[in-house]
Amino acid sequence: MKPGPTTPPPPLTGLKTLRLMTVGGVIAYRALFNWTRPSIFIGTLLVGPLFQLLFFAYLGRQLQVADDRFYIVGNAVLTATLACVFGGTLAVGNERRYGTLGHVLLSPRSRTVVFLGRALPYAGNGLFIAVVTLGVSSALLGLRIPAAAVPGLLLSMAVGSLACAFFGLTLGALGLRFRDVWVISNVAVALLLLLTGVNVPSGSLPGWMVTVGQFLPITHAAEAARRLAGGSGLSAAAPELGREALVGVGYAILAALLLKIFETESRRTASLDTL
Amino acid sequence: MGNDYAIEADGLRRTYRGRTGWLRPRRTEVEAVRGVSFTVGRGELFGLLGPNGAGKTTTIKMLNTLLLPTSGSARVCGQDVVKQTREVRRRIGYVFGGDRGLYDRLSGLDNLRYFAELYGVAPREQKRRIAELLELVGLTGRERERVEGYSRGMRQRLHIARGLLHSPEVLFLDEPSIGVDPVAARELRRTVSDLAATGTTVLLTTHYMAEADELCDRIAVIADGQIQALGTPAELRHHADGRRIVEVEAYGVPDTAVSALRGLPGVRETAIEERGALQLLTVQSDAHIDVQGDILRELAGIRLGRVNSREPTLEDAYVAIVNAA
Repeated sequence: MKPGPTTPPPPLTGLKTLRLMTVGGVIAYRALFNWTRPSIFIGTLLVGPLFQLLFFAYLGRQLQVADDRFYIVGNAVLTATLACVFGGTLAVGNERRYGTLGHVLLSPRSRTVVFLGRALPYAGNGLFIAVVTLGVSSALLGLRIPAAAVPGLLLSMAVGSLACAFFGLTLGALGLRFRDVWVISNVAVALLLLLTGVNVPSGSLPGWMVTVGQFLPITHAAEAARRLAGGSGLSAAAPELGREALVGVGYAILAALLLKIFETESRRTASLDTL
Repeated sequence: MGNDYAIEADGLRRTYRGRTGWLRPRRTEVEAVRGVSFTVGRGELFGLLGPNGAGKTTTIKMLNTLLLPTSGSARVCGQDVVKQTREVRRRIGYVFGGDRGLYDRLSGLDNLRYFAELYGVAPREQKRRIAELLELVGLTGRERERVEGYSRGMRQRLHIARGLLHSPEVLFLDEPSIGVDPVAARELRRTVSDLAATGTTVLLTTHYMAEADELCDRIAVIADGQIQALGTPAELRHHADGRRIVEVEAYGVPDTAVSALRGLPGVRETAIEERGALQLLTVQSDAHIDVQGDILRELAGIRLGRVNSREPTLEDAYVAIVNAA
């Protein structure tokens, strides 16, 4: 066999772009997300967040700030953040670790498609964790969720996870410029815990924190999920879901812009340790 | 510049600017490449030789679009590396040496599948192409193992397969045999040679003279960010014309003795290579002056092994070129 030069591949569109997002995204997830080992996945992504949820639920009972539904539903939606925020960071940060970033940047294909596709498996991962956490914690704490609310809840958690995955990718894009992006991700996860109104009712937060929370993922998805779990119909939750989707789209655009800017900057200043 | 060339570099320069220090920041500036010009014909196997820090990798990174030149221009397959990056990237492959650059958690097969997606290999062609390349680099049967378990030689072969996935017209090989054992290095050379035989243009950087001598149609010697010599291996050997080489195996040669050898009449270059406890001292001198006796006198009292006098090789020419820079 003698592989020789051929004409360069033609520009790819449509289905091939979709394939790059999905097939490419899943392979990249397997390559870059270190936490898929069962022990780490179960311990870090399932058990840890469940205990955090129980902690806040019991604290809420003790302090009589809000009922179980407030904490269980809100925290269940929030559990997606670990996979989504750290996943997005790993999606870029681990490229540095493996020394593969240069080869990815040498791809003739759209960066936006390559990297936004990477967010999808993390969103799926986040949704899975949220569903498991909601199911287990509801069983443990005796929260009854109306069957009619389940599709809407799934939709809320899916939209929240997707928005959060794009938020994570935005942080990951910072990893093209700043080597210690993990610090930012750790702070971001703590801020989501505080500012999304999941554990502290937004009425109890200072006004500026509430304002910041409006622009973070999970805030609106958690509120929508609470309304649905409380028996309100999808129409009551739709405005919040719409806001959450807008937040997600905003972060997707921001991530794409940052990736473009930092890549261009790296070619000019050689600031990126590409290889 | 016509289309007969796969690579055209014209006055390429690259300056790295940085800043050091927190309290009193100081700007630093390093001129890594200082006006490099050369052309590589289609199907040619072209070598870029030079010591560490000579500017080889920076030159390749400008040609493969990862770095913008500070000044000068370059075209690959007729496409401008600054303005037509996507077109250039469709036509090139890039392979570098070392352990990194692969996804350790994935199998060799999945690594290739992912890069096939990234490099735009049509889905219906991927399976066939990957199978061909695994066969070419001798990894058939090992492709489902995780890369973290691969030897360095296997990783290097996978690098090459990855670089060829989209059948590039031009392949950049940046020190591909670094750290690879002699048997694997020979296999690599055979693969590279086969590629060139099929019409792929190859730009190879290497430290290893024998590798360049065996493979390359033409070689550019780069040092201090500039091309010091360019020609066929036979032409480059002329840089050592009129010289004679004396090699001395020794143990514990002090720096003072090496300095003294440099001062001997007729001596042009000296080099010392550490081989464990053994040191190989290479002295280049004018051919018409017999310096062997003087050398042995300077090394009196030092434990010596074999002493050999010979004609200069390409490596000696390279040393002469680099030292003259």
